[in-house]
Amino acid sequence: MSENMRRIDMQKVVIVPCSGIGKTYGSVSREAAYDLIEDLRPDTTQLVPLSLLVLGDEAARKAVESTPAITIDGCKLACATKMVQENGGNVAQDYAVLDVYRRYRQFKPQGIATLNEGGEMLAHALAEEAAQVVDRLIEGEDENG
Amino acid sequence: MVDLPKKKVGIVACSGEELAEGTVTRLAALKVLEQQRPNQTVTICLPLFMAGGEGDRAFARFYPTIAVDGCDQRCAARATELYSGKPAASLVVSDLVTENRLEKAQGLRQLNKAGQQAVDITAERIAERVDELLGKPWDRRTGEFIDRERETEAEPEEAKQATCSCGSGIPVQEIQIDGQAVTIVALPLIFAKLLADGKTPSNGAERELLELVKIYNPIPNGTEEIYAVALLREYQAYCQQQGVSA
Repeated sequence: MSENMRRIDMQKVVIVPCSGIGKTYGSVSREAAYDLIEDLRPDTTQLVPLSLLVLGDEAARKAVESTPAITIDGCKLACATKMVQENGGNVAQDYAVLDVYRRYRQFKPQGIATLNEGGEMLAHALAEEAAQVVDRLIEGEDENG
Repeated sequence: MVDLPKKKVGIVACSGEELAEGTVTRLAALKVLEQQRPNQTVTICLPLFMAGGEGDRAFARFYPTIAVDGCDQRCAARATELYSGKPAASLVVSDLVTENRLEKAQGLRQLNKAGQQAVDITAERIAERVDELLGKPWDRRTGEFIDRERETEAEPEEAKQATCSCGSGIPVQEIQIDGQAVTIVALPLIFAKLLADGKTPSNGAERELLELVKIYNPIPNGTEEIYAVALLREYQAYCQQQGVSA
């Protein structure tokens, strides 16, 4: 098992943000993922790095194969969603940051290395929505035993 | 090699979301792209080598590329080599941390002091590699390229924002070869270069055209002549579009 994936927990919902580096929406996707795994649902979510999925890392593959995934993409190319699917994963919910922004136009994101307040608020709004999906997925698992 | 509109160095960061060192790669790459060498560098998201098109996968063949990894798994270097081309240089943040006796970087979203130092050191090392790869020495005393005059004359000032190749990649063109649609990487650039060099379809462009195409595209054994004919036909059409008689 790879060093980065030692903490993989097969009971937690997988969160996969895109690795967008050249556009603001990529930074929003990353920040939303951190909001989710660190603040909103630390006990029921886990982050899987996209770079490991690109390489087909065994532990990363197992993680997405065995638990539902929520993907967060910064652009229409949807790398995170595609990579989870390519690795045999089940995408329970895919978010495109641009679509989320259309629902929260008051939060205009700017900046890449450092997001402005609008970007952080948008990331948080996205994370809040995703947290509800996480709860439903966990509840569903509990109901199914 | 085809002269691209501007010779640049590609930077591919692993961006590892799970490790503070991954955040270091991302911020260091952005520092170089936005502040230190904005006019000399370009980037691409690592997953685009798989999720993108042929133009994206051609990235490391066109740009001498620096892979920047957070840990010794070296996802960026390995994936770049696997899907695009061998990186011209490779840096690993954890190695730089050890080499510079820094404390461990911590904080995925907000790096600690050691992480910020690692960003600075990594960015500096990337910028050094950029200069080496471009063959243009950087004058630390003045903070400018030594050949400043030529640099400013050749290129207008660009916005200081990371230049991302997501979704644009290298230009490609689909042509018909022996009844099959084949995507040829860099063909629009190759045509433009030949025409700029004064090579028309009737005055010896055929061989050079094929040789340039072979640099970036695999041509199956025994099909060179078929490719040559198809490429020449497309080049004739291109020249006509440009108002140049073949």
